[in-house]
Amino acid sequence: MYKIYSLFLALTFLCLVARAQEKVTISGYLTDASNGESLIGATVYISEIQGGTISNVYGFYSVTLTPGTYNIEYRYVGYQTISRMVDLSENQRIDIELGEVNQQLEEVVISAEPEDANVSSIEMSTAKLDIKTIQALPAFLGEADVIKSIQLLPGVSTVGEGASGFNVRGGSVGQNLVLLDEAPVYNSSHLLGFFSVFNPDAVKDVKLYKGGIPAKYGGRIASLLDIRMKEGNTKEFEATGGVGTIFSRLALEAPIIQDKASFIVAGRRSYADVLAAPFTDVLDDGAALNFYDLTAKANYNINDRNRVYLSGYFGRDNFKFDQRQGFSWGNSTATLRWNHLFNDRLFSNFTVFYSDYDYSLAFGENDRDKFEWDSRIRTTSFKQDFSYFLTTNNELAFGSEVLYYRFDPANAIGVSDGEATDISLDPKYGLEAAVYLSNDQNIGDNLSLQYGLRASSFTYMGPGNIYTFAEPEVPGERLDVIGVETAGRREPIKTYFNLEPRFSFKYQLSPSASVKGSYNRMAQYIHLISNTTASNPLDVWTPSTNNIKPQLGDQYTIGYFRNFGGTNDYETSAEVYYRSTENQIDYIDGADLLINQFLEGDLLSGIGRAYGLELYAKKNVGRLNGWVSYTIGKTELKVEGINEGDWYNTRFDQTHNFKIALFYELNERWSFSTNFTYLSGTPTTFPTARYEQQGYVIPYNDNNERNNIRIPDYHRLDIAATLKGRKYNRKGELRKNRDSWVFSVYNVYSRRNPFSIYFTQGTDRPVPSQPISTEAQQVSIIGSFFPSVSYNFTF
Amino acid sequence: MKRLFILLTTLALLSCEDEIFPTLNTNEPIIVVDAWVTNQPEAQTIRLTRTQAYFSSQFAPGLTGAMVTITDQDGLVYTFSDQDNGDYVWEPTAAVPVFGTSGKSYRLLIEVGNTVLESNTVMGRVPEIDSIGFRFEPGDSFFPDSYFADVWARDPVGPGDTYWIKTWKNGTYLSKPSEISLAYDAGFSAGGNVDGLIFIQPIRDSINPFDQDDNDDFLPPYSPGDSVYVEIHSLTDDAYKYLSDIRIQTDRPGGFGELFATPLSNVGTNIRVISNGGEDKVLGYFNVAAVSSAGRFLDPDNLPGERPE
Repeated sequence: MYKIYSLFLALTFLCLVARAQEKVTISGYLTDASNGESLIGATVYISEIQGGTISNVYGFYSVTLTPGTYNIEYRYVGYQTISRMVDLSENQRIDIELGEVNQQLEEVVISAEPEDANVSSIEMSTAKLDIKTIQALPAFLGEADVIKSIQLLPGVSTVGEGASGFNVRGGSVGQNLVLLDEAPVYNSSHLLGFFSVFNPDAVKDVKLYKGGIPAKYGGRIASLLDIRMKEGNTKEFEATGGVGTIFSRLALEAPIIQDKASFIVAGRRSYADVLAAPFTDVLDDGAALNFYDLTAKANYNINDRNRVYLSGYFGRDNFKFDQRQGFSWGNSTATLRWNHLFNDRLFSNFTVFYSDYDYSLAFGENDRDKFEWDSRIRTTSFKQDFSYFLTTNNELAFGSEVLYYRFDPANAIGVSDGEATDISLDPKYGLEAAVYLSNDQNIGDNLSLQYGLRASSFTYMGPGNIYTFAEPEVPGERLDVIGVETAGRREPIKTYFNLEPRFSFKYQLSPSASVKGSYNRMAQYIHLISNTTASNPLDVWTPSTNNIKPQLGDQYTIGYFRNFGGTNDYETSAEVYYRSTENQIDYIDGADLLINQFLEGDLLSGIGRAYGLELYAKKNVGRLNGWVSYTIGKTELKVEGINEGDWYNTRFDQTHNFKIALFYELNERWSFSTNFTYLSGTPTTFPTARYEQQGYVIPYNDNNERNNIRIPDYHRLDIAATLKGRKYNRKGELRKNRDSWVFSVYNVYSRRNPFSIYFTQGTDRPVPSQPISTEAQQVSIIGSFFPSVSYNFTF
Repeated sequence: MKRLFILLTTLALLSCEDEIFPTLNTNEPIIVVDAWVTNQPEAQTIRLTRTQAYFSSQFAPGLTGAMVTITDQDGLVYTFSDQDNGDYVWEPTAAVPVFGTSGKSYRLLIEVGNTVLESNTVMGRVPEIDSIGFRFEPGDSFFPDSYFADVWARDPVGPGDTYWIKTWKNGTYLSKPSEISLAYDAGFSAGGNVDGLIFIQPIRDSINPFDQDDNDDFLPPYSPGDSVYVEIHSLTDDAYKYLSDIRIQTDRPGGFGELFATPLSNVGTNIRVISNGGEDKVLGYFNVAAVSSAGRFLDPDNLPGERPE
C-alpha cells in the first residue's frame, strides 16, 4: 500500500518539477458557430510543437507553451478548421467558434473525433457515437436509440430483445455506470428494454468506456457510459421533433440571453394507447400502457471564468390494468454544475446531483383489499473535479466525490378485508466517498501515459437492523439468521476501503499506428439484484453490507491501432481484454429477492472472469461508409453452491458477436443504412430428467449444472432509408425548415430469434388417468419483421 | 386479478413460441419419494418412483419391494404396505382413525434394498375455513359474465404458519402449475409481516380457475350449479419453499413472461440417504399436513349482492 502511495507521489512530483521554466498559457472554449454548443473532443494543434490538446467535455482547452509565435489550428471533424497565428508573450484567452463544413454528401459523420484519434489518443476501449450516427442507424420502430446503437460496437451485447440495459465485456447490466450529465441513471430502459430513456434530440455526445477508465470515475466494475446533454442553442430558437410509430418527440431550444444563456426542453410520449383507445374497451377505466420523458437543461455563461448548468431528466413508464392497479417505473435526475476557471490553467467543475429511480406496483380493486408496493433508490452527491494543465506534456486531474444513498427496498402495504398491514422493509443507507489524482503525460514524441489512483470508501450505516447469518451447512442453501442487532441513526455498520489504481499507455509506432495498453481496478459498492433471465425494471439495488462485500474488478487490456489511407480513411483496431472479478453476486435456487428482509441470506458470492478479443474496422469517408466489429469472448462465474462449485457461463456469455453497420448516400435527398447482427446463443440450462410430485412434473438436472447448453444463434438484418425534404421551395428559395422521412424495417427476414427456451408440462390441466407429457418451447420476443415510418423536422 | 390475466394473455400474443425437440442428456434413474400425508380420515398413500427421461410421456415407473414406515415422536409406527405398483398405503384403523396430530414430529424411513432413506417433519396447524363466497362480475369484450369464488379464513396468531390451498371445481382438482396456491401466514412470504390476518385478497381469490376454450376465449370460473371444494393443508416453512420452487419451475407462462422468468434450477428435497446401498441420490418430499375443508354449490338465488339481469 505504502509503495503505491510513494510511487504516486514521486510521479506527481516529477511532473511538477518539469515546469520550472517561464511559460505562458492560451486557453478558451470551443463552440459550434451555428448554435453555441460546446465542442467536446475538438483538437487544438500547434504545428511548432507538433502537438496540442483536446477540448474537454465542457469544450474547454488550455495549452501552456514557452513564449513565442505559434500557428494554432482548431479542428473538429465536419467543421471548418480555423488557424490563428498567435504571438504569445502573456497568457491569452482565445474562444473559438467553429462553423460546420457545408456538407454535400457527408451528412453522416461517423466520428466527431480528430481524424486520427483512434491511433493518436491515449484512450482505448472507448467508443464514441455521434448523435448523427445514432440517428442514421436503422432502429426498432424507427426510433433512434442511444443504447441500441452502442450495442453495434465491439464488446457490447444484450441478452435479447426486451431485456433492459446492456452488457459490456462480459459484465452484467448492473455493472455499468450510466451517467446523464454526471448523474447516474439506474434504469436506462423504457417499455422493459425496447427503448432507452435518452431522448436523442437532447443528447449531444455519447461515450462508452469499456476499459482504461480514468481515475475520475468509479463505482461500477464493467463500464462507463457517459452521456452529455445539449446545452441549448445560444444563437436562435430551434425546434426539433418527430412523429413516429410508437411515440412523438419535440425539443425546443433557444437563447435566454444571446450568446450568454440558453435552454433546451425535450419531451417524448408514446401514444399506442391513445391511438388504440377508440377501438377497445380494455383501456377504459384507466388502463394504460405508455411512457414519457422530459429532458431539460439551461446554462448561463456568467463571465469568462464562470458558467453554470442546470439539467434534469424525468421519465416514467406506466403499465396499468385500470385506475388502481398496475406497474409504473421511472428515473428522475437533477444536476447543477458550475464550471470555474481559477486561472488559465486550472479548470474546475463542481457538481451537485440528485438521482432517483423508483417503481411501484398496485393490486386490488378497492380499498378494503389491496396491495401497494414501491421501491426506490435515491442518490445525492457532491463532486468536484479539477484539471490542471501543467505543461503541454502533463495534464493533472484530481478531485473528490461523495455520494449518499438511500435504498427503500419496499414500502408496502397490504389491506385484507379492511385490515391494513404495513409490510415495508427498513430503508438502508450508504455513504460512498472517493478522492482521485491522475496525470496525463507525454514522454517524448511517441509515448503517452495516463496514471492515477482513486481511493474509495463505502460506509453502510444505520438506522437499521444488522443481521448475522449462520455458515451454510450445504453451500447454495438459504442462510439462517442467527443474530439481529440494531444500529442507530448514522451509525456506521460496516466500512470498506479500496485503492483503485488506473494506468494506460500509448506508444506511437508510426503516424498511423500505435500500441496501447491499460490496467484498471474498479470497486462497486451497490449491487443490482436480479435472478431473472433478463434484467427488468423490478430489479432492486442494494448496498454492500456487513454480509455483502463490494465487487472488485481488475481489467487488463492491450490493443493495436492502425489507420489506412491518406486522411485516415480507414480505422482498424484489435484489442484483447482480461477481467477478473471478486465478490460477484449470484442467488440460491428459489431465491426470494423482493420484500425479503433477510435478502442477504439468499445471496451467494463468488468470483468471475471474462476475456476476449475485439476487432474493429471502420471506413470514414466516401458515399459508402460504416463499420464492422467482431468480438470473441467468454465470461464465467465460480460460486460455491452453484454448478457443483465449478466455473459456469454467465447468462450473457456470447462467444461470437459480429456486427456490420453501413451507410450509403445516394444523392442529396436519399440515404440508406443497414445493420446486421450475429450473436452466439446465450447459455441456458436443460434438464436431464423429469419426476413427479403431487401430480406436477418437475425438471431435474443431474449434476446441478448451470448454463450447460446454448440457445440457437441470434441474427438479424435491419434496413432504413431516409428521404430529406427539399432544400429549396418552389420559388427556388432556401427553406428554413429541414425535414426528413425515415422508413425502416427491423428484422427484415422475420427471423424468430430465440430469447429463451423453457421446459414445461404445458398449461393444460392434467387428467389423472393419463400421463403428463412434457415439452420444450422456444420463445421469440419479436417474431416477425417490423416496418415503420417516422417524420422528423427542425425549424 | 382478472385484468392481469387478460393483459398477460394479450402480451403473450405479441411474442411467439415454437415447440422444439432438442436432444437432452440423461441420467441414471434416481429414487423419487412422493410422501404427502394428511390427517384426513382416509387411507394415506406414499408413492415411490424413479426419474425418467425428460421427454418421456409415460407414468413414472413405480418402485416396489421397499419398506416404508412413519414413526411419530411418541414411537407410534405407521406402516405403509406395498401395493406392488409403487404405492405404499396406510389404512386407518379403529384404534388410529386419522393420521397424526398437529405439533407432533414424524420420521419417515424407507428401505430400498440396502439403501435407507430418512426424513423428518412436523405437522403444522390450519385455520378453519370461515366461508366460501361467490360474487358476480359482468363481462366485457375479453371476459364473459362470471361468478368468482373466494375462500375466507384467518391465519392463527403466531408467525410462520404456511399453507397449501387446494381447490376442486365440480370434483376436478385444479391441478395446473399456475393453480398452486400457497400462503405464508395470511400473505405470500416470511418477510411479509402479515401474521394473524384474514388471507389477503389474492389468496382468497386463488380458488378460481382461468380456463380458455378452443378459441382461446376465457371461460367463466364458476357458473350456476357448479360446486367448489377447498382444502387448506398445513406445511412446514421448508415445504412452503419446496412448493414455491415447484411453482417457479413448472408454471411457465411463456411469451413476455420469460423476461421475468428465473432460469431452470433443481428443486430441493428434505429426504436424505442415510445408508448408501448403491443409491446415493434421492428426490421428492415428505410432509404431514393438517387439513381443513369446506365446499359450496353456486346457487344464484341464494347470493347476496349483484345478480345478472
